[in-house]
Amino acid sequence: MSESEIIQKLQQGDEHAFRSLVENYKKIVINTCFGIVHHQEDAEDIAQEVFIEVFRSVRNFRADAKLSTWLYRISVNRSLNFIRDNKNKKRIHSIDDLVQNKHSGLLSLSATRSDHPGLKFENSQRAEMLHLAVDSLPDNQKVAFTLNKYEDLSYQEIAEVMAISLSSVESLIHRAKKNLQKKLYDCYKKNCI
Amino acid sequence: MKCRAIHKNLIFYLEGDLKKEEMSGVELHLNECRECAAFAEEMKMTLGIIENEKNAEVNPYFYTRVKAKLESFAQAQQVKTLKPAYIRVLQPVFFSMVLLMGISAGIMIGNAPSRYEARMVISVEGLVPFLDEMSHEPIETFIFEQDGNE
Repeated sequence: MSESEIIQKLQQGDEHAFRSLVENYKKIVINTCFGIVHHQEDAEDIAQEVFIEVFRSVRNFRADAKLSTWLYRISVNRSLNFIRDNKNKKRIHSIDDLVQNKHSGLLSLSATRSDHPGLKFENSQRAEMLHLAVDSLPDNQKVAFTLNKYEDLSYQEIAEVMAISLSSVESLIHRAKKNLQKKLYDCYKKNCI
Repeated sequence: MKCRAIHKNLIFYLEGDLKKEEMSGVELHLNECRECAAFAEEMKMTLGIIENEKNAEVNPYFYTRVKAKLESFAQAQQVKTLKPAYIRVLQPVFFSMVLLMGISAGIMIGNAPSRYEARMVISVEGLVPFLDEMSHEPIETFIFEQDGNE
């Protein structure tokens, strides 16, 4: 089914069209959510809500933007809202916590994708460190970086999703990388891994 | 190139964002400086995590869970749409009735005869025969008795 067919049939409440939507776009939605919340189960929960919202509001969808752009937008907003609502529930709040946990021998294995059997424990520590560094970025930098790195979106596509100019996207990603480097260097100096 | 300058540009070097001359300069320094090379390797491995994470498999039962959630959401919406009508109409009617009953009860209680007043009336009436001697002993009898005694 093409994108326009999916939208047309969704607007009529067609279940097959909804299934087609979910199957075709679940990877990008879950990936985007994971890139922001860094927790597989939470990412899937948020992705479910994204598709439900799409189903409910597809009648208001104007075909002036791509369906994928709309999905990215909803995924980003929902993920950021999730982080804001669950800010106090984080187990590790900073790189200092990570260092402390490492020195006290606490294993901080969260349900991340680094729990793949083939990966070593060191990789899961690296993943935790990377997630902390990305989480510490301001929201707009985090979103731009995630869309670029996790979804391989071009700067133009990111500009459409975030509704900002191309130069703004370039600036955001540049600053995100700079901030990430600083965080990772601090962690490296403190011997996090 | 000094280490500090390298550290500032390392992520851009790894991402391939630097100009050709700057890339060569960083490469040259990394070949010479062990510490910077070690940090570059660490950062490369850390950033490489993203490549692993973005290719992870999706739950095969994802659609089933979405469908179940959608159905439960639709049911919750149905209950929600019924409730407001029930609340909007019956609740104010109920509270108005309670208010009216309360006011009526208050008026009834206010108009009921007082037991204390009734007792007072009875006791005064009881006393009156003793205070009102004239009804039991007319004045003429009293006067004639007085004249008789003298």
